[in-house]
Amino acid sequence: MKPAIPSREEALQLARASLQMVRTEVFPRAERMVAVARARWMFRAFRMGRDVAAYGPVSARNDGHAELGDKLTFLGGMLPTSVVCYEHARLLVGNETQFNYGASVEAWESVQIGARCMFASFVRVSDRDGQRIAPIIIEDDVWVAHGAILLPGVRIGARSVVSAGSIVSQDVPPDSLAMGNPARSMSLDLVARDATGT
Amino acid sequence: MRAPLMMMLGLGPAVARLKLRRCGSVGATPTVWGRVWIHGEGEIVIGDRVVFDARMAPIELHAQQGGRIVIQDDVTIEGGSSIEAQSCVTLGARSHLGMWCKLMDNMYHPVRGNRHERPRSVPLMVEEGVTVGSRSILLPGAHLQKGASVASGTVISRRIPPGVTVGGSPARVLRREVAR
Repeated sequence: MKPAIPSREEALQLARASLQMVRTEVFPRAERMVAVARARWMFRAFRMGRDVAAYGPVSARNDGHAELGDKLTFLGGMLPTSVVCYEHARLLVGNETQFNYGASVEAWESVQIGARCMFASFVRVSDRDGQRIAPIIIEDDVWVAHGAILLPGVRIGARSVVSAGSIVSQDVPPDSLAMGNPARSMSLDLVARDATGT
Repeated sequence: MRAPLMMMLGLGPAVARLKLRRCGSVGATPTVWGRVWIHGEGEIVIGDRVVFDARMAPIELHAQQGGRIVIQDDVTIEGGSSIEAQSCVTLGARSHLGMWCKLMDNMYHPVRGNRHERPRSVPLMVEEGVTVGSRSILLPGAHLQKGASVASGTVISRRIPPGVTVGGSPARVLRREVAR
């Protein structure tokens, strides 16, 4: 029995398929491994859970007591994300929280972030604004959209959404949408189900 | 202000073309200062005499699969602004984007319901002669008509009629053009 010699088209097809497989299967995993290794190194001063991944540069500094949960994701982009915990401060980040590029989390006294939160790019969370220091609490499943600023002393309820560019100076109740400057909250039940921003 | 070395050598447009090599088509004499980060599989069309001033912070152009970014003639984009297209983002002729602007035609996560599915995207349109101030955010469905201008730090997700200045958060009309 003769081994079939693949024709030119078949060989090309095979090569293309394997290239596609490498692109869809191998590259993401390799990227993920690099990201996990990078996070290990960058957050070496932090107490950290499993599978924290940093897909880009993160400027992290811990002089206080900072704890990161499992499966955090820090995406890379134009600017580095910064996570800073100053002396005697406490910074807690829950599991599966995601940070886009340019987000900055700063703890001078206490910042608590719940599980499965999403932080978009250029979000600023700082518990000191130059005049006062007050703890920030962000509960589970909160989505903070692009460019929002959370001022000190704010508590954001579970499953809330802080819309893009808003400045939150008061507490946001659970299941609500906060927008504007200063941010006003409204219940998420009032939002149309297929809202696309129009 | 010192001109960049490549510009003094007269290589500005050539270097700019090199930096914009990921774009589908680039018009005559582009100017690029600093870094422009172009990624995604979508199509990017750039008109004539476009200026990317990314000396302070990089500019992001992100056209995703099936997305299209059209930048027409004489547009100026300043540093730190980022344009993300899932369907279509158009910047009209002679418009100006300030620093740290964000243009996105998809919210990426629905406000209600399952956060992991992606909502419908709405094309974003900036017509000619529009000025967008720094740190303003154009959300899906924003449509800035001819000659409108946006004060800095404004969030917009609707149609803005021609010749109107909007500002504040939530956005209000600050000034209407009286003489047409």
